[in-house]
Amino acid sequence: MKFGIFYEISVPRPWENDIEHTVYHRCLEQVRLADELGFHSVWAVEHHFLEEYSHCSAPELFLTACAMQTKQIRVGHGIVVCVPQFNHPIRAAERAAVLDILSDGRLEFGTGRSATWTELGGMDANPDETKETWDEYTRTIPQMWTNERYGYEGRAFRMPTRAVLPKPYQKPHPPMWVAVSSPGTEIDAAERGMGSLGLTFGGFAEQEEKVKRYRSIIRNCEPAGAFVNERVATVNFLYCHPDNETGIKTGSRLTGSFGYLAAQLLPVREVHPTRSYPNPGLLAATRQQAAQNPGEGVSAPEGVCIGNPDRLVEEIKKWESCGVDQINFLLNALETIPQEQVLDSLRLFGEEVMPHFRDDQPATTSEPRELAATAAAGD
Amino acid sequence: MPINGTADPTQLTQYAPTMSSLDTEALTLPDVKVLQVIYEIDDAVMAELIPPALHPTIPPTVHVIGLRADDGPLGAFTLAVVRVGCRAAVRPRGLPTRAVCTAGEAASALEQRWGFPITIGEPVLRERYDRQSIEVNDGNVAVLSAQLIDPVPIGNGDLLYTAGMHIANVERDGETKPWLVQVDPDFEVSRADRGTAQIDAFDSVFWDAPDLRPVYPIVASYTTANITLPRIRYICDPLQPAISGTVAL
Repeated sequence: MKFGIFYEISVPRPWENDIEHTVYHRCLEQVRLADELGFHSVWAVEHHFLEEYSHCSAPELFLTACAMQTKQIRVGHGIVVCVPQFNHPIRAAERAAVLDILSDGRLEFGTGRSATWTELGGMDANPDETKETWDEYTRTIPQMWTNERYGYEGRAFRMPTRAVLPKPYQKPHPPMWVAVSSPGTEIDAAERGMGSLGLTFGGFAEQEEKVKRYRSIIRNCEPAGAFVNERVATVNFLYCHPDNETGIKTGSRLTGSFGYLAAQLLPVREVHPTRSYPNPGLLAATRQQAAQNPGEGVSAPEGVCIGNPDRLVEEIKKWESCGVDQINFLLNALETIPQEQVLDSLRLFGEEVMPHFRDDQPATTSEPRELAATAAAGD
Repeated sequence: MPINGTADPTQLTQYAPTMSSLDTEALTLPDVKVLQVIYEIDDAVMAELIPPALHPTIPPTVHVIGLRADDGPLGAFTLAVVRVGCRAAVRPRGLPTRAVCTAGEAASALEQRWGFPITIGEPVLRERYDRQSIEVNDGNVAVLSAQLIDPVPIGNGDLLYTAGMHIANVERDGETKPWLVQVDPDFEVSRADRGTAQIDAFDSVFWDAPDLRPVYPIVASYTTANITLPRIRYICDPLQPAISGTVAL
């Protein structure tokens, strides 16, 4: 089991007094501590226009800062929105390669397509097309990375043959992931030989089923990249406190705030009916979470990592038994939890929870997969 | 935390009915035609359109709804409704500002039993092969003209209709005051189309939403559905955040 931290970069109103500057720098302080404690990775989302919920519109810059201030922790670009109105695929490939170089080969490359009208409408993107464009990106970006020159004529974009430069530091390229929020997307990940980057807060039974499907299908996959990245990550909240009740109560404020903010956004499905978005995705899941746990009670929902170290060990063991390889933790939302408490929570987790879990999960097994194992280890 | 509405509830009740009872039985309307045209609206006034109990969506939206029942327990009727998209705590909702309904049993039932802010008029829902439209005139002036253009079939399950929060003067516990009445109909869709949204006329003063300006089309849908209007299960104090001001009946 590996552990990561996961950033939406939630900024509360009022947006004055340098609050965005403050929040960004608090996040960097958390990342530096996580690096010292031995966390595997820091992930940052790409979101646009999501007021208070996420002010993380240029994650590659934030992650570059993370890489420059740390030694070991891997940087998860999770996810790059693979929609032309957001990111041209050539620019996505170039920026990722530079980040991989500057981080000395610590990049994890996540792909996805956005789930809100707030974002897709804001960028004038067609929700009907995002699955298709995402699919093209996942197959063409690795080609840009691994071929000296590359040309393409497709649906989302076309390019005459050019050298897309620079090339990533990791060879053949950084491990690739797919954001999995809607049920069934884990199949997309498996079929393409990509890691499953879970972004919903489902329970154990749902996760176990997803992992089972993923592991079964990835055996016969046709990798989108040069190797198979067989890993399953899931997202969770983290608030660890010596006193279980205090931990759950404080952590519940975090989960409640996060879900409440997510619910204010417009999922594609609510206003723009399309087969491309059969489920509300991340937002619905977080909303459900908020509804179950509005921040007042002292009981923690199944699998949510809030409470004392013993409870967290117990919950994480259950995730492990579901076949999850990595848990990425959200540490704060709306600055609900004061920075010192966030740092204390991270330290306590590092000292009393992490030692219970060995980081012995090989990323891959066959020859091309060994390349990924090397890459994932940052050698 | 998210922005709350700032409208004084008493200022939102110009067309609100008085409901003497919330003990409403569910009622199914068969084969209703439903046109829904959704636009983003000017954000400058988004908070002024809804009471403190509700949050505007991000971005703020308006739902223009045309509905025609050719038969059924309330007889034949046509209804036009303008709603502001919002959230009651974490729940997606729409707040009707005004509704225009053809005269008859339906108008009084929708008003008295489900709190629709009804005015009697002559809304017209037109179904063509290349478009569907809802039109309302006030005298000789078009106060609403909204269309779905170039319909294409979509899956019956692809649509999501959000519930309403209808502001009404509710007689309860010996007191009459404004409440938000949650109306969450069930839609059993048998046919659905989607197309380009277009609003050609919208008189915000008529619709009791001064300064509401539809500025950016999202999408329009047109369905045939059995609609079950529900029993009223929840009401909400318009002055309190919905998370704390909601009362189960």
